Amino acid sequence: MAQKNSSPWVDYVIFGLTVFLVFCLIFESFIDLPSLVAWLGRWHPLILHFPIVLLLMAAVIGLFNQMVPKLLLMVATLSALVTAITGFFLGTESVPKGDLLFWHQWMGAGVAILAVVWYWVSTNHLQQTYLVKGIQVVLIILVGLTGHYGGMVTHGEDFLALPRSKKLEKIPENPLIYEHIVYRVLDNNCIACHNPNKIKGELLMTSIGELIKGGESGPALVVGDPGNSELIRRLHLPMEDEEHMPPEGKKPLSENEIQILERWIALGASDTLKLSHLDNDEPLVGMVRKMMEPGTINSWAKLPKVSDSTLQNLASDYVTIKRIASNSQALSVSVYLPPEYDPKNITDLNRISNNIVELDLSGIPIGEKEMDLVATCKNLEWLEVDRTPITDAEFAKITGLENLRVLKAYETGISDESVAILKDFKGLKSLYVWDTQMSDQGLSELREAMPNLHLDYGIDPELKMEFIEKDTIVDSIQ
Amino acid sequence: MEEDKTNSENPLKVNRRHFFSQLSVGIGSLALGSLLIPDLFKGGPAPLASQPLGIPHFAPKAKRVIYLFQSGAPSQLESFDYKPTLAKRMGEDLPESIRNGQRLTGMTAGQDKFPLMPSAAKFAQHGKSGAWVSEFFPHIAKISDEICIVRSMHTEAINHDPAITFFQTGSQQSGRPSMGSWMSYGLGSENQNLPSFVVLTSRGKGNSQGLYSKLWSSGFLDSKHQGVLLRSGKDPVLYLNDPDGISRSDKRHLLDHVSSLNKIHHVETGDDEIESRIAQYEMAYRMQMSVPDVMDIKKEPESIIKLYGEDSQVPGTYAANCLQARRLAENGVRFIQLYHQGWDQHGNLPNEMAGQAKDVDQASAALILDLKQRGMLEDTLVIWGGEFGRTNYCQGNFDPKNYGRDHHPRAFSIWMAGGGIKPGITYGETDEFGYNIVKNPVHINDFHATIMNNLGLDHEQLIYKYQGRRFRLTDVAGNVVNDILT
Repeated sequence: MAQKNSSPWVDYVIFGLTVFLVFCLIFESFIDLPSLVAWLGRWHPLILHFPIVLLLMAAVIGLFNQMVPKLLLMVATLSALVTAITGFFLGTESVPKGDLLFWHQWMGAGVAILAVVWYWVSTNHLQQTYLVKGIQVVLIILVGLTGHYGGMVTHGEDFLALPRSKKLEKIPENPLIYEHIVYRVLDNNCIACHNPNKIKGELLMTSIGELIKGGESGPALVVGDPGNSELIRRLHLPMEDEEHMPPEGKKPLSENEIQILERWIALGASDTLKLSHLDNDEPLVGMVRKMMEPGTINSWAKLPKVSDSTLQNLASDYVTIKRIASNSQALSVSVYLPPEYDPKNITDLNRISNNIVELDLSGIPIGEKEMDLVATCKNLEWLEVDRTPITDAEFAKITGLENLRVLKAYETGISDESVAILKDFKGLKSLYVWDTQMSDQGLSELREAMPNLHLDYGIDPELKMEFIEKDTIVDSIQ
Repeated sequence: MEEDKTNSENPLKVNRRHFFSQLSVGIGSLALGSLLIPDLFKGGPAPLASQPLGIPHFAPKAKRVIYLFQSGAPSQLESFDYKPTLAKRMGEDLPESIRNGQRLTGMTAGQDKFPLMPSAAKFAQHGKSGAWVSEFFPHIAKISDEICIVRSMHTEAINHDPAITFFQTGSQQSGRPSMGSWMSYGLGSENQNLPSFVVLTSRGKGNSQGLYSKLWSSGFLDSKHQGVLLRSGKDPVLYLNDPDGISRSDKRHLLDHVSSLNKIHHVETGDDEIESRIAQYEMAYRMQMSVPDVMDIKKEPESIIKLYGEDSQVPGTYAANCLQARRLAENGVRFIQLYHQGWDQHGNLPNEMAGQAKDVDQASAALILDLKQRGMLEDTLVIWGGEFGRTNYCQGNFDPKNYGRDHHPRAFSIWMAGGGIKPGITYGETDEFGYNIVKNPVHINDFHATIMNNLGLDHEQLIYKYQGRRFRLTDVAGNVVNDILT
């Protein structure tokens, strides 16, 4: 099928781009892109949609034994090449390349080169041969895979995974140790390979019975004897060991999770045991409680986005605003006393109040206005208002900060009136309230209401006396 | 890519590699020549960090470090590593199977005998954790449930300077950035009005080794990360105060003009140090206000002064520095490095070490208690330790009342507290002679990796490229010691 009107320079461009692409791929590790060229890579996510649509269209038309319009194929091939090259540019930004990117890059290059081959073959009058049919089929598959890998690069590997609501289910207050704790650990780590569909090593881990029955290597679980349970043995093997579970490349279990499994087996691997059945000094209680704590990191994932420029605008020589970690929307704010203090420095933070998880106002002469701002920081986990003139009146503003973990309010004017508010901070772990107006009665009321709270009322007086009284270094030697 | 931008802005800032690599994409055919000289296009422009700077890589457990460095190497055998066997076998020669070819310093290499010497200080177990602490450190013993004693530190260096340089910079040879500089580089400043890396020094009566400013140098990192030595007395920072007759606004005008001149110079030469200098002038200007306030311990109540010991009223003592360290930490200094000199007990160990311990014991323990009551132990990592250990055999005359110990790199003890470290544990173990580690060794690289981990930094990701090579604090080694983390 000759097409007389095709202009030769398009062929040259395609040839040139192909050579350039191949060159790029071969000399990848030696190439250092100027910033403008690297910037071109940023267009990859836009351009890539063209070859996907055009190539699929062309290939499907071909497979239905229809004539593939030359123009379509030409544009498809060109766009595939440009996409592959911009993709290559974009890829150089992330070093080292992960597996996903690696496969995406080579399959993407494959698509482009295959398209060129098809284009070349078809301009050489070989439109309807098995070779071309083959190319079309492979192209469709490759485009799909490349697109899928690319999607995983941008959206994360489990973007397309089916929703699994079970994982997000909250553990009930008084969980069944097997159903709510142990099974969750197994489900998150093991059952993906040891389920009725996969049965790796002929082991099913979906029920206690199956665990006792075991697989190729014998029973996975020996009731009451974690030491002889294959499951536990494999968890403890060094990572390099072939038999270590989960296998290489999979996330290993946390120390706490392993201990939970061990302890549960040692206690008889019961499926009816509840947390409330256990004594408080039973180690399993602590481990399970640890697992029940809401992950702080998870709660940060839901924070609204805040831009770097906003942070720069609000920060000053005396207000430091930092992200808790790179790519995190959680903010840590520290305020230092400027020569001339103006509450506006702090009240201006209301633009980002939802993102503030740590706020340090130690030693700042704050009042009601500033505490109003604090009250709007709903995600606050760490608050320092020590060495400030606040009293119960100001403190009353910040009721209901349920994520608050650490509160420093020493050397302030708060008194027993604030106990009610403190009791309301359900998540509070540490509280520093020495040198306040709080009475022993208020403190013991607080201790009673929050038995797990670390309540710091200054250095133990006895210990303090030992330090203050006299230097007790041994004289015998001198 | 930011680097490229600055490079293209200033034509002088192009190096050979960069010149060629710029060319490589522009002229494809030339690049083919790289087949002949593969190295031609290797490597990008200067500094390199695969993570953004100034922010932790992941959520940190500690925000700042107070490093109580005991310069001269306190003996582990008279402090935290209790070895009753040495008393039982007192005077016996160290078995060759234990020494196992360890090289010695020039000071004891000439000795024909290496008689085992027990500790002159008595040991007892303290706290719920039952940690062994000697009677030289009665106050630290009282806070043993707050600290994590690591008895299995080891190093390669056998002399003070390489050993302390190793601890501070991750290399025995000088020239690399100090730990505090790396932290400043990686985490940025918490308070714009104070340097992020501050150094305080003090000196005991014991045999001392020199301290050099290279220990807190920023090496090849930008000099704004350099440690700032705060002196005791009227002028904590030299030349910080304005001369008589110069008002603060005059100073402001002066700085503005100097800065505009410097900027012109920077455009001409492209020297980054000029920008650092501008930043340092500005920092000094702000420090004029902040430093006197932070350093003024008169605001501390008497009970706090007494907690740290009476010494804490005397500027320049270790106790005063500990109190100062707390105030600096409160004010957002990232890395506070103390040095206390005088721990090099080659002779007269029992006496000298008792004196040294008296200098530091109460104040170190008080610092922990004080940080704890302020909730600062939750995000401040405190480290106490020297550059290596001391031998289990006697140096010089064999006299249980007055003996010496030589340098020993194979095993020594330090302690850490707060900032994501498990309290109330003792980690690692040495053999019955206290000579070799038998369990859980911790190398200096591991120590660095662990500290960085607690500060939210991946020690393998905080990288600086200099002279064609990528540098890390942990160089090419280091494992985070997970066992001692909370």
